[in-house]
Amino acid sequence: MAAMASKAPALLKSALDGAQPKFQTFLRYAKVELAPPTPGELGQVSQGIQRLLSGFRTGRWKQLTVKEATLNTLVFTEVVCWFFIGECIGKRSIVGYKV
Amino acid sequence: MSTAVELPAPVRVSPLIKFGRWSLLTVGILYGMSRHRSLAKKEAALREVEAKKQAELAPKLAAEKARLSKQELDDLARAAGVTVTN
Repeated sequence: MAAMASKAPALLKSALDGAQPKFQTFLRYAKVELAPPTPGELGQVSQGIQRLLSGFRTGRWKQLTVKEATLNTLVFTEVVCWFFIGECIGKRSIVGYKV
Repeated sequence: MSTAVELPAPVRVSPLIKFGRWSLLTVGILYGMSRHRSLAKKEAALREVEAKKQAELAPKLAAEKARLSKQELDDLARAAGVTVTN
């Protein structure tokens, strides 16, 4: 037990070193995919919203393929899930409000 | 270990999706914080009321408990054939 405890810092360091490349690849993707939109892209945001609304009005949504529709549903679900993650962060608990 | 397969290029996510994600995240955090605050306030008020009620009822409950336990001991003594002198 004492030998394990004495090796713990070395184990931790080697674990962190092993995780570094994985972390670097994660950062590489996160910087492009997860970053918040730059102010320059906000114009595209409003364009996208306009396109969504006009597509809904013209009835183009009735001509989507099922595959497109499922992809859109998945993306929408993922975006909505961020709201619930934010709520968990705000209430500082995973399940339920601890009052 | 560095002879890994060529990793695919990162996907360029549409700004609308990124904007939606981050705005919903912040809205969720704010909503969670505000709801937690209001619920904590309500719970604090309720806790006070209940503590007061408990303080009022405590002597009555203690007396009832003492009476029942004395009753039990007397019954046990009678069943065991022991005479109780108190």
